[in-house]
Amino acid sequence: MSTTDRRVRETFVELADTLVDDYDVLGFLDLLAHRVVELLDVDACGVVLADHHGTLNLVAASSEETRLLELSQLQNSEGPCLDAFRTGRPVSMDDLTTGGDQRWPRFAPAARGAGYAAVHALPMRLREVVIGAMNVFGRAPGSLGSESLALGQAMADVATIGILHERTTRQHEEVAGQLQAALDSRILVEQAKGVLAERLSVSVDDAFALLRAHARSTNSKLRDIAAAVVDGTLTDVRRR
Amino acid sequence: MVGATGAREPVLAVGALCEELEELQSTLGQGPGVDAAAGDGVVLVPDLADGPAVRRWPVFAPAAAERGMRGLFAFPVAAGAARVGVLDVYRRDPGGLGAELLATALAFADAVLVVVLDERGAVAGGPDHRRDAMLPERRAEVHQAAGMVSVQLGIQVSEALVRLRAYAYVHERRLADVAADVVARRLRFAPDRRGTDDTAVGSEMMDAPPNSDHDHPEGGT
Repeated sequence: MSTTDRRVRETFVELADTLVDDYDVLGFLDLLAHRVVELLDVDACGVVLADHHGTLNLVAASSEETRLLELSQLQNSEGPCLDAFRTGRPVSMDDLTTGGDQRWPRFAPAARGAGYAAVHALPMRLREVVIGAMNVFGRAPGSLGSESLALGQAMADVATIGILHERTTRQHEEVAGQLQAALDSRILVEQAKGVLAERLSVSVDDAFALLRAHARSTNSKLRDIAAAVVDGTLTDVRRR
Repeated sequence: MVGATGAREPVLAVGALCEELEELQSTLGQGPGVDAAAGDGVVLVPDLADGPAVRRWPVFAPAAAERGMRGLFAFPVAAGAARVGVLDVYRRDPGGLGAELLATALAFADAVLVVVLDERGAVAGGPDHRRDAMLPERRAEVHQAAGMVSVQLGIQVSEALVRLRAYAYVHERRLADVAADVVARRLRFAPDRRGTDDTAVGSEMMDAPPNSDHDHPEGGT
């Protein structure tokens, strides 16, 4: 078994381990986004979910750089995630300089401006319903290759399962409730980033790194840490 | 029938039975709406007479079912930590809401949030303004900015959202742009020294960017 194969196996075991009762959906997606970057040998990964307005919202990313957040937001008007979400099929642009501008006149230049040359989007679907997409970015142009693409889609499927608990997916209502919960958790984390950034005079990106590190070192849910930061019960979050 | 509950007490209930049940939840401190308000997210109860519902709300669920109300669907009127209330949707017949009605109810809860925030900020923008300012509510930067402003002013995040929206409205700017300025630290909110209420939104800005239109007449309505 190659190193990559072993790493893939470890990742799936690690992800499966987090899928216990009352688990932390944001922490799970965060881990997944980081593993996608590592295993697919890409430079950034973002997970977007559609809300009840049909708006795509970033819920997790391998990097909390504002640029990545902006690229996700932009895709509510155009971009690979929107295309993957609408068609339910993977979308790839191996070189954003060739053809990217025709297809996405706003997204392609913005992505290049952020330093990305290749972009891929994998639909997150539950049977006939597409709930969002996984966005993968590369700094160098190039295709993902069929194996990486298949692995990426498997990761996107795992993300879907992680968001929609298997046992309740038969009910549309539960799906909507769980999507809503994931999106709302994300909003809470953004608020906590702001609170911490202001308190410690750091950037919002650094604030997220602190939140995440604190959640991991105390083995807590990202959502719970965020809630405690916002309501002021947790003040001791800083670089150690 | 729809009732919108504030943090503690019902502020609007449509229909006598709905009003009674809202009061009951509030008095007992028990029920789907109470749980939704406490941060449990969307609470969907297709049948209040059913075992799980009765076990979870042993007094409220049977009382509601006895009065002929079987379905209760509670939607937080909230964005993250900014929780302003709950939208309770009641139904006489048992059964799920269905995907379409559920999406509608969630959209209603969003609309109520916007209306409540703007009412607190004394923003009288009308439906057109709200349609514009409604969707960016989910933008990451708006919520990051709300977190920052809550610390700058020593207020709750919901109140910070109120101030941000009111500022954007008074200065005729997009909420997302105002939020971006706050996050980039080009704009800070300072406590209002006059001690007046939120209607004085235009006067509480300090260190506004040099090119901003901070001299825009207050109110603008």
